[in-house]
Amino acid sequence: MVRFKHRYLLCELVSEDARCRLSLDDRVLGGLVRDTIARVHGTFGAAACSVGFAGTIRTCQKFLIQYNRRQLLILLQNCTDEGEREAIRKSVSRSCLLEKESAEELSDSAGEEAVEIVE
Amino acid sequence: MPATAYERLVYKSPSEYHYMKVCLEFQEHGVGLNTAQFKQLLVSALKDLFGEVGAALPVDILTYEEKTLSAILRVCSSGLAKLWSSLTLFGTYKNKKCAFRVIQVSPFLLALSGNSREQVLG
Repeated sequence: MVRFKHRYLLCELVSEDARCRLSLDDRVLGGLVRDTIARVHGTFGAAACSVGFAGTIRTCQKFLIQYNRRQLLILLQNCTDEGEREAIRKSVSRSCLLEKESAEELSDSAGEEAVEIVE
Repeated sequence: MPATAYERLVYKSPSEYHYMKVCLEFQEHGVGLNTAQFKQLLVSALKDLFGEVGAALPVDILTYEEKTLSAILRVCSSGLAKLWSSLTLFGTYKNKKCAFRVIQVSPFLLALSGNSREQVLG
């Protein structure tokens, strides 16, 4: 039996208009991506991506949390001010707590990879 | 009788292109298309099914006969499935129902010069 392989793309949305962050949510973004695939790859492309599209966003969110935490640790090293250092330490410990909670909620299926695309 | 030894040689040269003899049929009579319009029709058929990427597939019209709306097309072999499936699913042109008839497909252009199905014997 042919096994469908999943691939995950973590992307950063860059926009000139700062307000677009407010109007974008999961559903709108999903719709935009689907429209673009339909334009570039036609009916065939739209049909090919219609299976299990929404489920990938959760895995990307989890990876993003890990990535941001790593970035915070890097910032911590480059800190000069004690106040900044304290603020970053607090953010890092908060994110660890959240991750522990969400790991207990979710049941992951083994064998899914997250691929990071950083510009 | 002694068994004859023989050697079988098979030459495989994958043809770069595939050639299609096609004919466009409209439900109503009297629909005319010049070569450019026919080409535009092919591109839009590819675009419907395979999007911008499909529409960029290089397809050449080697011959076109406006009277019968028939043509010989050339496409790179890797794009044959895309072109053929696009033609198969193309059903309307300017709100007129139509269908592509694929008469012959071959990796060799010479093969399209004769079609045993159209041969008249006697």
